[in-house]
Amino acid sequence: MPSDIHADTAIAFESVSKHYSLSLQKEATDVKSMLLHLPRFLSNARRPFVALDNVSLRIKRGESVGIVGPNGSGKSTTLRIMAGIAPPTSGKVIANGRVVGLLELGSGFHPQITGRENALLNAVLLGLTLAEAREVLPEIIEFSQLGQFIDQPMRTYSSGMFFRLGFSVAVHVKPEVLLIDEVLAVGDAQFQEKCMNHIHGLRSQGVTLVLVTHDMLSVPKFCDRAVLLEQGRITDEGTPQQVVHGYLARVEALLALQVEERQRLKSAQAVAT
Amino acid sequence: MNRQARRAYDLLYLLTFRELKLRYQDTFFGYLWSLVRPLLQGAVLYVVFSKIIRLDVEDYGLVLLAGLFAWTWFHTSLTLCVGSFASNGALIKKVYFPRFVLPFATVLNNGIQFALSIPVLIILLLWRGYVPDWTWLIGIPYLVAVQGLLIMGIVLLLASFNVYFRDLEHLTDVFVGLIWFYLTPVIYPLSIVPERYQDWLLILNPMASIIEGWRDVFLQNQIPGLSLLPAIVFAIIFAALGSFSFRQMQGGFADAL
Repeated sequence: MPSDIHADTAIAFESVSKHYSLSLQKEATDVKSMLLHLPRFLSNARRPFVALDNVSLRIKRGESVGIVGPNGSGKSTTLRIMAGIAPPTSGKVIANGRVVGLLELGSGFHPQITGRENALLNAVLLGLTLAEAREVLPEIIEFSQLGQFIDQPMRTYSSGMFFRLGFSVAVHVKPEVLLIDEVLAVGDAQFQEKCMNHIHGLRSQGVTLVLVTHDMLSVPKFCDRAVLLEQGRITDEGTPQQVVHGYLARVEALLALQVEERQRLKSAQAVAT
Repeated sequence: MNRQARRAYDLLYLLTFRELKLRYQDTFFGYLWSLVRPLLQGAVLYVVFSKIIRLDVEDYGLVLLAGLFAWTWFHTSLTLCVGSFASNGALIKKVYFPRFVLPFATVLNNGIQFALSIPVLIILLLWRGYVPDWTWLIGIPYLVAVQGLLIMGIVLLLASFNVYFRDLEHLTDVFVGLIWFYLTPVIYPLSIVPERYQDWLLILNPMASIIEGWRDVFLQNQIPGLSLLPAIVFAIIFAALGSFSFRQMQGGFADAL
C-alpha cells in the first residue's frame, strides 16, 4: 500500500478482528505454552468469543472521534488495540505518531510514595523520557492543584485527588494521539471544567482524540465524528448528533419493546387467572 | 540512544529506585536490613557447619559469606521475578510500556543489595588478614556480567511462562530454595565435594562455577578465567531462550492476565 494514503492517518484499522477464548481465558501464543497447557487444552473445549469482528476504521490526524455502544460491544478492546497493549487476532493496525492510552487514571500509582514521585514515574510509563518528565513536572503539579499534598505519600489522598493527579499527568505527556476511556468525569465541577478546557486546547493544537464514553452529551461536545459499535461490529458512523440520536432511539425502542412485552405477559397472566 | 531505548532505561532506573525506596521506607534501620538478613543467615549456617557439624574448611565463615551474598542475589531475583508480569496485570492491561523493565528492575535492585553487602565482606576479610588487590577490579565486573546475564535470561523465561502457567511460582520457590541451593557450593566449598562429582557439578550447574568464581576473587585475589566457561554458555543459552520466549509471549500478556 503506498504510504501517501496514510500520510494524514493517525490510526487505521484494516479488517481488525479480536477473539478471546473464554473457557481458558488464555491463548496459546506458541507451541511451548500450548505444550505446557496440554492437559487443559485436551480436557477443556475452548469457546471463542469474538470481541471485534472485521472492523475497518480510519482516523485522520487532528480528528476527534467518539466511540459509543452498549457494554461489551468492543469499545475498550478497540482502544487497547490502538494503544498497542494487545495485538489483534487478525487484520492490520496502523498507528502514526505517539499514541497515549488513557484507559485508567493513575495506573501504576503506588500508595507508599509521594504524588511527585508517582507523577514522574507515571509520565515516563505513559510515554515521556525522564528528562521530558522532569521538565513538565511543575506543570503537572500546578494543574493538579494538589498544593503541598504533592509531597505526601499517595495513600493520604482522597480518590478525587488521586484522579486529579492521574489526569494531570495524562494530559501533559504530549500525546499525538490521545485515547480516552471513560475518564473525563473526575474531581469536582471546577476541575472537570478545567479538564474539558484542556482537552479542547489539545484538540486545537492538532492532537487526535479517540473517546470512548457512555456519556452521550460529551460526544457531540468533543467529537467531529462518532462510531457506533455493537457486538464487535461498526453499525453506524457519522456526525456525533446523528449517531448518538440513532443509538439512543434504538435503545429507547428496545426498552419500549421490553416494557410492551412485559405488559403483554402481565395481561396474559391476568386473563389466565 | 533512540527514544524507546531511552525510555526503557529511564523506567528501569525509576522502578529500581522506587523498589529500593519502598523496601526501606518507614523502617528505623533502613538499609541495614539488607545486611542483617544475609549476615544472620550466614551466622546461623556458620554455627551449624563450623561448630556443630565441624566442616574442616579454613576460614569457613568467609568461604560461606563469599558465596552466600552472591547466591542471595540469584535466589531472591528468581523467586521475586517469576511473578513480575502476573502480579502487575492491572498495569500491563492498561498501559503500554516495555514489559521487560518489570523483572529487570527487581534483578537490578537485588544486584544493588548485593553490591551493598560487599563492603561488609571486605571488613570481615581485612579482619582475617585478606587484603583486596587490583584483580577485584576485573574479577567483580566479570562475575557480575556473567551472573547478571544468567539471572536476566532465567527470569525473563520464568516470568513469561508464569503468565500462562502460574505453578511456576511454586515450582521456582521449591526448586531454587530446596534443590538448587544444596546442589551449589554455597554452604560448602567445591573442594570438599568428592572429586568424581566436581567436574559434573561445574558443567551442569552454572551457579557452581560462578560461586566458586566469587571465592576466587574475594579470597584468593584471582580472576576466574576459563573456569566460568560453562556458566557463560548457560548464561547465553538462557538469555537467548528468555528473550525469545518473552518476545513470543508478551503480546498476549494483556489478554491473559
